[in-house]
Amino acid sequence: MSASILTLLIALPLVGAVAVAAARPAHDPAGCIRVGRQALAWSLGALVLAALAVYLFLTTAEPGGTGLRFEAPWVGGPGGPVDIRFHVAVDGLSLWLVVLAAGLLPLCIWSSFSAIRDRPRAYYALMLLLESGMIGVFCARDLLLFYVFFEFTLVPLFLLIGMWGGPRRHEAAATFFIYTMAGSMLTFAGVIVLAWLAWSLPPEAGGVGRFTFDLQTLYDLRIDPAVQWWLFIALAAGFAIKVPLFPFHTWLPLAHTEAPTAGSVLLAGVLLKLGTYGFLRLSLPMLPEASVALAPLLAGLAVIGILYGALAAWAQGDVKKLIAYSSVSHLGFCILGMFSLRPAGLTGSLLYMINHGLSTGALFLVVGMVYERYHTRAFDRLGGLARSMPQMAFFLVLFTLSSIGLPGLNGFVGEFLVLLGTFTSADPAHGTPAGPLGVAYAAFAALGIVLSALYMLSMCRRLLFGPLRAPLETPDRSTGLSPDLTGREIGVLAPLALACVFLGVYPRPVIETIQPAVQRQILDVMGAEPRQADPGIAGPAAASPWAVSSAEVADPPAGAAAVCDATARATPEDMP
Amino acid sequence: MILDLARCMAPELVLITGATFVLLAGALAGDAGRSLGRRLALATTAVALALVLTAGPPETPRNLLEIQASGLSGCVRLIGLSVGLLILLVNGYGPTPEERCERLAMILYSLAGLLLTALADDLVLLFLAIELVSVPAYVLVAISRGDIRAQEAGVKYFFLGALSAALMAYGFSFLYGATGTTVLSAISLRPEATGVRIGLLLAFAGVAFKMAAVPFHLYVADVYEGASAAVAGMLGFLPKLAGLVAGIRLLMLLPGEGSGAVWVPPLPVFAMLWAVAAATMTIGNVLGLLEGNVKRILAWSGVAHAGTMLVALLVGPQTEGGPMRDGSWALMFYATVYGAANLGAFGVLELLEAGGRPAETLEDLAGLTRRHPWAGLALVVCVFSLMGMPPTAGFVGKLWVLAAAFSVGDGHPQRTAMLVLGVIAAINAAVAAAYYLRIVAACCLPPERAPLTLRSGTPGLRLGLVACGLLAVLPGLWPAGLLPWTRPDPLPGGWPTGKGIHAAIGSGEPEGKAHSAETGRQAVCPSHAAAAMPMSAGHANPAVELVFNPPCAFSPHGPGPR
Repeated sequence: MSASILTLLIALPLVGAVAVAAARPAHDPAGCIRVGRQALAWSLGALVLAALAVYLFLTTAEPGGTGLRFEAPWVGGPGGPVDIRFHVAVDGLSLWLVVLAAGLLPLCIWSSFSAIRDRPRAYYALMLLLESGMIGVFCARDLLLFYVFFEFTLVPLFLLIGMWGGPRRHEAAATFFIYTMAGSMLTFAGVIVLAWLAWSLPPEAGGVGRFTFDLQTLYDLRIDPAVQWWLFIALAAGFAIKVPLFPFHTWLPLAHTEAPTAGSVLLAGVLLKLGTYGFLRLSLPMLPEASVALAPLLAGLAVIGILYGALAAWAQGDVKKLIAYSSVSHLGFCILGMFSLRPAGLTGSLLYMINHGLSTGALFLVVGMVYERYHTRAFDRLGGLARSMPQMAFFLVLFTLSSIGLPGLNGFVGEFLVLLGTFTSADPAHGTPAGPLGVAYAAFAALGIVLSALYMLSMCRRLLFGPLRAPLETPDRSTGLSPDLTGREIGVLAPLALACVFLGVYPRPVIETIQPAVQRQILDVMGAEPRQADPGIAGPAAASPWAVSSAEVADPPAGAAAVCDATARATPEDMP
Repeated sequence: MILDLARCMAPELVLITGATFVLLAGALAGDAGRSLGRRLALATTAVALALVLTAGPPETPRNLLEIQASGLSGCVRLIGLSVGLLILLVNGYGPTPEERCERLAMILYSLAGLLLTALADDLVLLFLAIELVSVPAYVLVAISRGDIRAQEAGVKYFFLGALSAALMAYGFSFLYGATGTTVLSAISLRPEATGVRIGLLLAFAGVAFKMAAVPFHLYVADVYEGASAAVAGMLGFLPKLAGLVAGIRLLMLLPGEGSGAVWVPPLPVFAMLWAVAAATMTIGNVLGLLEGNVKRILAWSGVAHAGTMLVALLVGPQTEGGPMRDGSWALMFYATVYGAANLGAFGVLELLEAGGRPAETLEDLAGLTRRHPWAGLALVVCVFSLMGMPPTAGFVGKLWVLAAAFSVGDGHPQRTAMLVLGVIAAINAAVAAAYYLRIVAACCLPPERAPLTLRSGTPGLRLGLVACGLLAVLPGLWPAGLLPWTRPDPLPGGWPTGKGIHAAIGSGEPEGKAHSAETGRQAVCPSHAAAAMPMSAGHANPAVELVFNPPCAFSPHGPGPR
């Protein structure tokens, strides 16, 4: 069971997509909802499998290790010159991203019941295809398989944006597709060269004498630093566009604005993480020297992106565009924390990915619900919505605060760890020989947090408060929506709100899985020395629910424990 | 002796005989003749294919007609006949009442020409074989539609084709003058000689025309647009593959350079092909971006694909590393997958009528997936395969070609040039995505404009489209299924060669000796000796080769059950 569960998890949405596409055609709203319910059932099935996978992983895998592995030959085999495998597994790095993807999908499908009246079978089938692709990326342990899923996600999202998007949907879909594809072709070149290195390097340098894309084999390669630079740039070309890192972000606002609500949610919630996850899973462990050398460059771009994204968001007149630019800003934090190359920063980066998926996804959902009623997202045409939609206002404020990083909500934990890792990155006293970043990076990034409070809160003010302003003949109730949120819509938002609060108050289970994995899967592979416990950071292990005492983690990496302790120490003064 | 020859050339003889009978059957009165001709054409190809699959290892009669069976000819037979079957299906119905199965007969002749191109062991026969591919193609273009544009395209194609044939024949005469023989397996060219250089340049000009490579690509869009879509689908495969095969045959007359197990053409030839490949990919794709007519887009994309195949051709046969390094293997895989996807895309256009006339422009396709989901799915799948999106077959083809370019290794004297060419190919794949995406967008996104209808009475075409669609997807999901069939055996006897590479084969020495001559070329770097052995010793140890063995494996001298 535990071996085949990931394969099932990837296959179930695929089967669901075929089943939904082959369903009876729907010609009326009731038919559309019937098709939607069917898709919802499939995605819930996948969610159950994902939950089961989490349970199996947590009960079977050792801390920081890899579990639920399944391998089958795809092309060739170990005896031949080519060895490409269908190889899936999860570890602490990918587990929660899989859960994020599997968890967002049912909500996206459920939220589309009232919005999708055109070609519902194709819509829901494409959503399920997309789910399969996203989960596949996070589970793949073979580089080619990773690339296949990575690239495959473009197709359903292209069609989702192009068929059900806003007025400029064709342009947005084509820009998104071509921009991303252009980057990922260079990634593809890098992927091939890595396999070639596995074939051609001498055994002393980890070569195995066959073309293999097995990640573990590729991690073990010792590649010449000059070659690493080229490979890093090739891989980064695809990932940086996907993230998107400044200045490769220009496709994002258009794609986000024009995509249907569920498309925006998945794009922001999961698909952007394919880029950061790519850096984390491939670039760092495979190309350690180049990662250290190029970290200041990437972190610099990330900081520019944080500030630029924040300022650009502030200036937007369209709610969805504002959130899109805020994604540019937030994803900058992910990259910054990652390239601090400190356990705290990496853990925070990963946590930030999950939190951003939850809160930004939720914000897009709320905005989509407003749009369905008022058919506009422009600030100058909407205002005072708290009067007509108090329930919506509650959720919007909650997710805004989570997105800003208010302590007690999920955003704070990741943000704090990212900044902590960046601050301490280059401090030689903390035992980081490779610490590439410095205090300046963190200082400017922290400025981004202030800016994020500015633009997010001003969004709330303009949208929710003041006198009620809305276009004529709205809210539109022709699709059976009530003036305020319907039960279905609350049902969509409530799980996300609960997750935000839960992760804000009690992130321990997640951190506990991520930390050892970051140490074992990334930092140890990169060849960093095991770190000493850091007296400067590690405070006494407080009895806060956040704390992970060293005794609780079997074989705790000292650095990881230090992070937890630091988190714990931060709790008392920051908790409301 | 004649029996030997007949046995060795059985598939080609069947094709040519069958084609003649198809013409005769078409002359019978009315629909009965046409339907008989159709069945006869399909049966002919099926019989030829069956012969290829069941024939034992052919002996090589050297003193009758000059032919040389090899791994390449076996592979080309298999690919050509399989895709040829699809071409016949797609072309299977008569668009005009006066049509009397000429189309099918011409396709069969052309197919026979392709097989002979791989088989010929004589410059004259090689030239005739290439022309046997082209001359029926001129006719096909002209008769494919009752449209003035088809006539124009046919004339244009014929005159330019005649010019290129003349250039090629002129080049062959130089090669003959330089070597004193027309027997390919006895020729070893010295690229320093001026006569050889001129001869090769002219010969490659002819080859470039057949495969639609820059600078002989200008006719492509007009000809594809003028011809009916089904014929255009055929033009994207048969002449292109024939040109590539002829290119391989000519390259193999040159002595290889490079150390270890690496095959590299001499520098001037390498530089020429490098420039042609880069220009062909780039110019083809840029021209494709500028078009709004789907047939023209696909035509220019065919030019770009010819460039990609030239990349694989430039890597050439490598004995180690399987499909990730062997350019010839990658080339054959790519050509098969491209041929099927291209045929499928054109086939859907053939099936469609927008407002009563054949669908051609992007606007004509609007609303296709909504109105005719199956035809739309076939088009989208084939276009994604042409684009190289995973998990389609085109992606795997792209993987092999790029991998071959990136992994030429340190023994390659022009390694950096190959890496740069690989990057150019990768960037071009992204450029190509832009115009392929316009086709996908046109049929998925906007609502229907003109009423789109499917031609009736076309069961063969529909069956062919299903097959093309499957070929565009299945090898992507399961590459090992197609890989062994597209492998031109790189071991001795696998490649038809001149004396320059391994003379032992041409003189008919026993296999063992030929093999040792081959392994002599493979001074593998010591650290990889163990890794290299499985491929280089494939014949000595069939168990190792099992990884890629098809159900009916190629023998070293051609197809046949082991």
